[in-house]
Amino acid sequence: MANPMIPRERSDFSAIVDRPPLKLPGNARIVFWTIVNYEVWDIAKPMARQLLPAPTGVPLMPDVVHWAFHEYGMRVGCWRFFELFKKLKIKPTLSANARICEDYPRVAEQAKRDGWEFMGHAYEQGPIHKEPDQPAMIKRTLDTMEKFTGKRPVGWLGPGLTQTLETPDHLTAAGIKYIGDWVYDDEPTVIRTANGPLVTLPYTIELNDIPMMLIQHHESDYLLKRAIDQFDRLYAESKHRAKICALAIHPYISGQPHRIKYLEAIYKHVNKHKGVLHWNGAQMLDWYQGIAAKQLKAAE
Amino acid sequence: MNFPKPAVGMLPNDRLGYSPIAKRKALKLPKGARMVVWTITNVEEWDPTQTMPRTVLTPPAGGSPMPDIPNWCWHEYGNRVGFWRLLQIYDEFKIPGVMNINGVAVEAFPDIVKACAERNWEFIGHGFTQRNMQKVENERADIRKCIEVLERATGKRPRGWLGPGLTETWETPDILAEEGYDYVADWVLDDQPVWLKTRGKPILNIPYTQECNDVAMMLIQHHKASEFYERAMDQFEQIYKDAKGSARVMAISVHPYIMGAPHRAKYFRRIFEKIRKKRDVLFWTGAQIADWYLKSGPKAP
Amino acid sequence: MHPRKRLEFSAIEGRAPLQFPKGVRLVIWPVLALEEWDISRPMARMVISPPQGQPMQPDHPNWSWHEYGMRVGFWRLRKVLRELGVSPTVTLNARVCETYPTVVKACLDSGWELDAHGYDQVPMHKAEDQRGVIMKSMDIIEKFSGKRPRGWFGPGLTQTFETLDYLSEAGIEYIGDWVLDDEPVTLHTEHKPVVALPYNFEIHDIVLMALQHQPSDMMYVRARDQFEWLYAEAAERPKVMAIACHPYLSGVPHRIGHVQRTFKELLSREGVVAWSGDKILDWYLGQQR
Repeated sequence: MANPMIPRERSDFSAIVDRPPLKLPGNARIVFWTIVNYEVWDIAKPMARQLLPAPTGVPLMPDVVHWAFHEYGMRVGCWRFFELFKKLKIKPTLSANARICEDYPRVAEQAKRDGWEFMGHAYEQGPIHKEPDQPAMIKRTLDTMEKFTGKRPVGWLGPGLTQTLETPDHLTAAGIKYIGDWVYDDEPTVIRTANGPLVTLPYTIELNDIPMMLIQHHESDYLLKRAIDQFDRLYAESKHRAKICALAIHPYISGQPHRIKYLEAIYKHVNKHKGVLHWNGAQMLDWYQGIAAKQLKAAE
Repeated sequence: MNFPKPAVGMLPNDRLGYSPIAKRKALKLPKGARMVVWTITNVEEWDPTQTMPRTVLTPPAGGSPMPDIPNWCWHEYGNRVGFWRLLQIYDEFKIPGVMNINGVAVEAFPDIVKACAERNWEFIGHGFTQRNMQKVENERADIRKCIEVLERATGKRPRGWLGPGLTETWETPDILAEEGYDYVADWVLDDQPVWLKTRGKPILNIPYTQECNDVAMMLIQHHKASEFYERAMDQFEQIYKDAKGSARVMAISVHPYIMGAPHRAKYFRRIFEKIRKKRDVLFWTGAQIADWYLKSGPKAP
Repeated sequence: MHPRKRLEFSAIEGRAPLQFPKGVRLVIWPVLALEEWDISRPMARMVISPPQGQPMQPDHPNWSWHEYGMRVGFWRLRKVLRELGVSPTVTLNARVCETYPTVVKACLDSGWELDAHGYDQVPMHKAEDQRGVIMKSMDIIEKFSGKRPRGWFGPGLTQTFETLDYLSEAGIEYIGDWVLDDEPVTLHTEHKPVVALPYNFEIHDIVLMALQHQPSDMMYVRARDQFEWLYAEAAERPKVMAIACHPYLSGVPHRIGHVQRTFKELLSREGVVAWSGDKILDWYLGQQR
């Protein structure tokens, strides 16, 4: 694609204080958006994250230790999530490598049965820059998910949030309506693509167990502490304008026995507050499309 | 197992045999004391025309800029301000100081040398410059220069040595012994002093610390400041317990640019607030530990 | 010039104490840094490394993470500072005037001091023409604000051996790059001397959060510990304590409360005031006469 737009060309700078406040339906003031991430880590490739760096610092192939570390999430960790969200009656967004439908059909089946929203998250876990044919991979992802669930996903999250400059154009060409990669705001925004407007929803790189636990190495109870700090602030601000608080989790991290109780405690804290909606991405998209006609038109 | 021998010097295994602490003859300290604490302050001069040994702020998008002014200044703060803060704490609790100082730093910071000499601190050799001893062109000349500089500045020859970053070549202990050092502290492998064989006279090793050391804790592990106190207390309590029946030595190591920062000093101070008055704990210099061990410990091999 | 030629070693012990105006015991120096991260280059800092650790271009996730600071985080910080009556030094990449004029205007409307911080967030060592970058930065800010900056921070606080000479030539009177003292010091240059104000890497949200990965309340805990010790020492001699914030770090919801608490509590103590850099400079220059 010749001369794709740079981010600045897709989205004009806008200060939040200059925008009219968004309004949620009824008495709601804040959306709590839970995004669960299920991935496939191919043993033939380097593992996406390292918890235990190899002795002498030289990464090894195959990296069985980290393959197993991730696999725990599918064998054990994700079932803690299914149980928790069933109990809370929450239907999270499932950001999944489409390949889970083929490699872990039992897990994908449970998510489908429980009514979770399937969101495209590439075919398998690897940076999108290394993908030789992005449009084909995007199509394969959406086709696989549609075949499995009967519904074509409307949302997308790049693996590791990666995108190239062209990615948004490929996504709208494939029919995607919203992405989570643009973690640059507290509110939904509209960006321009070669094929019309694309909505960005405020996914999170802060309240996300990968940076928190695997990169920043925080203690397990910090999952709850940071979530409380984040939510409380947004809740206070939601007095004047609608807010969205996202929480991104991975079963091999937050699904560990020493962390799951802090995850449960987050929802306990959030649900003590009035005016909270537990929405997934598709629900947010519907709401936003209903109120943001002007922004959508401007990006055409 | 038989490891290949180096061309010069000795394998560590050849300098000292394995010895389980539980099976050694009991060590006794004077006055019914059960353990010794020695507190080392490290003063360095970082050459701004070389890569900085440590950094607190990496440049935007990475890389290694030359010069690295921000990190040079961050370290220099320790000499200008941080050291004096720590000195107050030493004075307050009457801790006998051990000054572990680069040869070049002796010339660069005469005020620091004077303040320590006035208080009768022990000065020990710490490389002529702050560089890996394996990268020094002539190790013997470097070790000798330290003796000359320290003797000129303090009137006394240093008896102890601690390499920059604890680095050594295969023959460092041999050269140190030949140049008249009585003890080294690079071998952080025990809670009691141990003898090391050299090609000549044996040399003593006194237990230093990587654990109660602000470089690893703050700069590498990124612990919060209170960890220095908590870990020192955990370390102290265990060593005190272990010391029933046979003496132990515990080291505390600080760098003025780290523990001398305003937000960390109080945690260094709190350690001594807790332990300085204990009747069965001796606060000594390295030289005092060496003299005691020479008299009361096992004979040199 | 070798740093030692710009400033001789001097131990704080033994210096004649400076004098604060009556009623002032300790000065807090709030510094707010605004940056431009060009998507066509590697990002200055990363919160999320890409899977498999392969650096990517464009680095969209980390670009977005920084952008949040300008869209949302800055406004949070501004509200907190205004409510407390705090006027920080704003040190900005000059390019921010071009890309985020709303943000710079908001700083000016609040009466905040603007310092130059390079053209964009690239180390000074990488500039082919340092003099050019410095002049360009100062010209852009002067044109936007009507005032030529008196202060400078290198991007990432970087400088070469010559930078101070270029800065002095361009009219800069003070820098924040030399974090080597609790007090201002005067540096020799080929032209007029330049004052180094006591900035620090301790109470600094990049160091704390992006590099050392401390929990969010550590800004408050560490600032309190720093403050208490300096405040005690301030009985004998004036102390200046800088606190450095970046909108994409301190301005996120889970950190802002701790930042707010830090400023609120410290400024509630007797004899503690918040001064901007030019005010600290003028006080220090007054002491020299």
